[in-house]
Amino acid sequence: MKTNILELENVSHKYDKAMVLKEVSFFIEEASFFVLLGLNGAGKSTLFSLLTRLQSLQSGSIKINGFIIQNYTKALKDIGIVFQEPTLDLDLTVRQNLYYYGALKGLSFKETIASIKEELTNLELDEKLDTKVQKLNGGHRRRVEIVRSLINKPKLLLLDEATVGLDLKSRFDILDYLRTKVQKGDLSVLWITHLFDEVQESDSLAIIHKGEILATGTAETIIAEYKQADLTQTFRHLTRENPDA
Amino acid sequence: MRKYYYCAKGIIYKELLRFLKEKSRFFSALVRPLLWLFIFSVGFKSALGLAIIPPYESYITYETYIVPGLVGMILLFNGMQSSLTMIIDKEMGSMKILLTSYINRNFLLFCKMFATAIVSTIQAITFLIVAYLYGIELTFSGVLLAIPIILFTSIILNAFALFISSVIKQLENFAAIMNFVIFPMFFLSSALYPLWKIKDSSLLLFNVSSCNPFTYIVESIRFALYLKFDLFTFYVICISFFLMLSLAFIGYKSKKVLKKS
Repeated sequence: MKTNILELENVSHKYDKAMVLKEVSFFIEEASFFVLLGLNGAGKSTLFSLLTRLQSLQSGSIKINGFIIQNYTKALKDIGIVFQEPTLDLDLTVRQNLYYYGALKGLSFKETIASIKEELTNLELDEKLDTKVQKLNGGHRRRVEIVRSLINKPKLLLLDEATVGLDLKSRFDILDYLRTKVQKGDLSVLWITHLFDEVQESDSLAIIHKGEILATGTAETIIAEYKQADLTQTFRHLTRENPDA
Repeated sequence: MRKYYYCAKGIIYKELLRFLKEKSRFFSALVRPLLWLFIFSVGFKSALGLAIIPPYESYITYETYIVPGLVGMILLFNGMQSSLTMIIDKEMGSMKILLTSYINRNFLLFCKMFATAIVSTIQAITFLIVAYLYGIELTFSGVLLAIPIILFTSIILNAFALFISSVIKQLENFAAIMNFVIFPMFFLSSALYPLWKIKDSSLLLFNVSSCNPFTYIVESIRFALYLKFDLFTFYVICISFFLMLSLAFIGYKSKKVLKKS
């Protein structure tokens, strides 16, 4: 039986008096690809900042790998994070950026490169190790961030709109790479996005809208449950809003 | 313990890399105090007579007097420069990388302050070497004793800068901080004039300067450079150290890291 790598229970959050998350609950099983889908302003980024402890939890509970988020030295130990905005130091080389991140995970420089040797080859970055990040294109920078997030061999990878601004090929290359790792059983992924074409029918999915979870399950079962033709139709049915607008 | 060692090493490594890559930052940090030493002090030395005050044992020139204050200036402005970098980091997102590590956040912040303090100390020593070559009376043993004091007091100023960066949400507000916090902090201290001189002119300014921790930072460097020790100054900088560190840690508690997103 699979165990849950991430559990959220009745997580609510407000800014001043505006409620941005309302009793959000869902869980992610180990070795699964889980998509949190919602339009801009749905509360995805707030949820992401709670999961990464950039904001304090106001109510409810978050458990990562069995540890409550307040116990962050254990809860955040086995996660990898990719933020929506670029977080690489442009003046440093790829190697120097990786060294720095590895150090923040408690690894020596040697251990850092050794731990991602395979990823560097798979994502065609091994020859760019000594290139300054500012000389890389957007797709390569994103790949570096993906590789960087895998330095500590995380059990759970959190990605917030990780493909925004990339061309179609780069987007799906990254998605395919991560799905393969999940299928191998190496990793669980929380993929936060507003892009409907990034969801596969077999993916576990939660639809978030105006701070509330409207549906959870695999994409396939959610579409079937609401008797709609596809995910876009289902979303429109649930929210009465047009995601393409 | 191993992970803390590698973590500290990584943060210092990055700060030194940045320092080496931004040579203009190094020179501009050095030019400011040198201008004060070469130009400002020359103009003022005839106007300002200095009595014998501790730690000095004989009459000194005005240039000699302001050297510890200018070292303090390097530390203060370098701390602020680092604070500015933190604000840019927060806006660019790279600060998030530091704060989402599973390693104790206060330890990470301390390493950040320590790394900046190393850079500031290198700049301060370079300045002291130039001051010596210019003719300021300094001894090797005095400079050697001053190094740990410079490092320690630099951490205090970096902690203060870190706290400021946690309060400022946007880069545009930084100029206001420079005008309303940094400049008063520097001018209302014993960096440019001894406290008794200020007392002669204004009791109020004397009282304010006596309560300014930066005064004691400058004095601790001054005493160390001349191989002297003042217990009261030491107490004040120790209290300032814990106070500023606490402020920086509180400033970066998770609920205050991000503005509304």
